[in-house]
Amino acid sequence: MKAVRNIRLCTKDCLCLFVCPTGATNTDDGQIDASKCLDACRACVDACPSGAISKVPFNFPPQQPKQEAVCAALRALLASKANQEAAMDAVIGSPASPVEAQLARALKESIRIVAEDMLRESGYMLPQSEQARAALRGMLESEQDADFPKDAAEELLRMLES
Amino acid sequence: MSKYICTVCGYDYDERDGDKSQGIAPGTKWEDLPDDWVCPICGADKSMFELAGAAAQAPAQPAVTEHAGEERQDARHQAILMSNLAKAASKQHNAPMASLFARMEAYFNQRSAAEGDMNSAHKLLNEDIAARYVAAFNTAREVGDRGALRALTWGEKVSKIQANILRRYLKDGDSAFENDNVYVCEACGFIYTGAEAPEICPVCKVPRFKFNQIKRGA
Ligand code: SF4
Ligand code: SF4
Repeated sequence: MKAVRNIRLCTKDCLCLFVCPTGATNTDDGQIDASKCLDACRACVDACPSGAISKVPFNFPPQQPKQEAVCAALRALLASKANQEAAMDAVIGSPASPVEAQLARALKESIRIVAEDMLRESGYMLPQSEQARAALRGMLESEQDADFPKDAAEELLRMLES
Repeated sequence: MSKYICTVCGYDYDERDGDKSQGIAPGTKWEDLPDDWVCPICGADKSMFELAGAAAQAPAQPAVTEHAGEERQDARHQAILMSNLAKAASKQHNAPMASLFARMEAYFNQRSAAEGDMNSAHKLLNEDIAARYVAAFNTAREVGDRGALRALTWGEKVSKIQANILRRYLKDGDSAFENDNVYVCEACGFIYTGAEAPEICPVCKVPRFKFNQIKRGA
């Protein structure tokens, strides 16, 4: 596990600098240097008076199996949300007024968040999950345009499979 | 004296108490509330309220339109999947992974077809509320999927707010929002129209700093 600091909560008391045995907490960018952070240590987490540091695991447990019936119901909603988002894109492309453009942008953002949540609960919570990796492999295997970021997909699979 | 419950955030309007924040005197009947009165917590209008204790009506099952265009939205489905995983990577404090997913998302966003208008989106949302959420809730409850129930609870409330904004816009046009700022909760998608974003999100309870203001640009 590695320690991470929530900059929003950090009150700069610097106790984490004092307790860290390796100097991992002492960085210029405000984040903790993962390469120096010790897997088994959590001295800074316990010392921080603001609850600003937590440890995130390197490995996550496998996704709990999802019932196909639930996934199907969520997919029906997702399809509807995708079509709603497409409608908002059409409005944003040629809005009748600045107010309509503003509402369409807000609605698009909002619809996207709801749609992501439907996916998250149908088995795509973690990038490390087998489903998410299968989706990336599927993208690499299907026909894509010339500007498909193949290197990004391959790099992601390497990261996720390690 | 009756109570009316906001179906978005759960606030209840008690006729006995009125609503001091908007100058509504105690004892004001629901019917006598002005049409422009809105929920003091989340900004939903009167149509989003239900009489407390009213028997839950059996939801009508309207015909759901065919998923015409679903195929054309394949790229958009991929884009949504990639933006979801980018957010998941950020939550694991993995910035390099998040930016790789963001590049994938950008590719699929560019290929997502734009089609429809405010009317078609409104229609789809009303179908979601009347049928798709009802079906999904039933299924998730049957198998006891708590994660899905949480997502559906938030999603249904946010969809109601979205539908309500579209309804107002389709009815009154720009004038319905002329004096409002617009904010979106980045955790659940709740949209607030009014002067200032609420202190906590009425749907998912995150604090105000999680709201994005959507400016009225050119
Ligand atoms: S101990 Fe906590 S509050 Fe203090 S500098 Fe470190 S992270 Fe910030
Ligand atoms: S967990 Fe230990 S090694 Fe890692 S940053 Fe905190 S104090 Fe330093």
